[in-house]
Amino acid sequence: MAKMSHGDTIPLHPSSQSDIDEIENLMIAGPANVLPARPPSPPRASIPVSSSPFLPSNLPPPPPSAPAAAYHKAPISASPPDAAYHKAPISASPPAAETSRGGIAADGFGSLPNTLTEPVWDTVKRDLSRIVSNLKLVVFPNPYREDPGKALRDWDLWGPFFFIVFLGLTLSWSASLKKSEVFAVAFAVLAAGAIILTLNVLLLGGHIIFFQSLSLLGYCLFPLDVGAVICMLKDNVIIKIIVVSIALAWSSWAAYPFMSAAVNPRRKALALYPVFLMYISVGFLIIAID
Amino acid sequence: MERVQPTGENYANPRTCFFHVLFKAAALAFYILSALFFNSFVIIFVVTVLLAALDFWVVKNVSGRILVGLRWWNEINEQGESVWKFECLDQESLARMNKKDSWLFWWTLYLTAVAWIFLGIFSLIRFQADYLLVVGVCLSLSIANIVGFTKCRKDAKKQIQQFASQTIASRFSSTLQSAFSVV
Repeated sequence: MAKMSHGDTIPLHPSSQSDIDEIENLMIAGPANVLPARPPSPPRASIPVSSSPFLPSNLPPPPPSAPAAAYHKAPISASPPDAAYHKAPISASPPAAETSRGGIAADGFGSLPNTLTEPVWDTVKRDLSRIVSNLKLVVFPNPYREDPGKALRDWDLWGPFFFIVFLGLTLSWSASLKKSEVFAVAFAVLAAGAIILTLNVLLLGGHIIFFQSLSLLGYCLFPLDVGAVICMLKDNVIIKIIVVSIALAWSSWAAYPFMSAAVNPRRKALALYPVFLMYISVGFLIIAID
Repeated sequence: MERVQPTGENYANPRTCFFHVLFKAAALAFYILSALFFNSFVIIFVVTVLLAALDFWVVKNVSGRILVGLRWWNEINEQGESVWKFECLDQESLARMNKKDSWLFWWTLYLTAVAWIFLGIFSLIRFQADYLLVVGVCLSLSIANIVGFTKCRKDAKKQIQQFASQTIASRFSSTLQSAFSVV
């Protein structure tokens, strides 16, 4: 039945037959800007436009609210059965429906094809800028930031990949023998360490997302990378110790806000201690390599 | 270059197909052949994993979009939960996708994963743990892409079915409504 399609979105008016008669009157009277017989789409969750996974090409979804409003106005002004009186409230809504549908169509067609059909160079630039912004966010920590846990929302794994590989290469270069083993050990320890530390936070009941935490721990290796490069160039043990301590303090200071925000305050130390331990062991590796 | 026949098609995006296959083949070839030329594990590891990572990026961001019109990614929403998003082109564009392109896309995706599994078995037999590391990383990248795109395709099919049924339902009810008003 005709009423069933939008009966679920609107509470049924007891005089539903009179509604149909009034709508028939409108259509027969033929004002140009009344919507033709076009019920709102069958009841479904309203399409979230910016993230809708599917883009209908030929039917822009009619906004469920506007035609519903149009049909609402019919029952409200049901008492004077005057076609001219009905025209006024209903004619107000279709232009709104047109513009809002146009607005939604513009948003819907605008946001999705931009990522599906964008040129390759745009994708590259987007990812590169994301890496740079993540690096700045993590490694140059702002103590006045409002919500540290929110800061690495756009996680990516390219940065951590480069930093871990770079650290492994630096350590391997500095080693005079057993270069392959040094590299493999460094890579495996850092990668497995990041995974295990993330699992540790999750098991402590913390609220952190797996990839976000991996990304964070990888980006916090950047100071240690810098320290390792300096240590590779200067061979003096005292300088190495100083440089590595500074790099270590910087890495820990960068990792601290995110990790501590993720767990229960009473378990903060339990979550942070393994992180410090991992960075300290990497620092020893840097100092002890010769 | 012969003219495109109406019944059989040539590749619609030859350059994208080329890049799609290039990095995969380069990673596999380098891994297999490097044992003959290079003695250093470090170079093998770094170059192979770099090529595999580039291949992952190219497949996920470029050839997935251009060859089959699918895309997947992960977002973290306001509540701090991770949401996997799957996105596809609309129905008309999907139907217009070149069949050869998508055939190449899916087959090379599966074949590389199988190849890495074989190489992993070889290095397991030879008890080379460090080469197993390389194979492990490359395999996980391939599997991630396979899983992502398969879910995306299933999601796309489901959306097409839902959309078709909704369109049919709304058109049916609108014809009913107009028929009813005429009566």
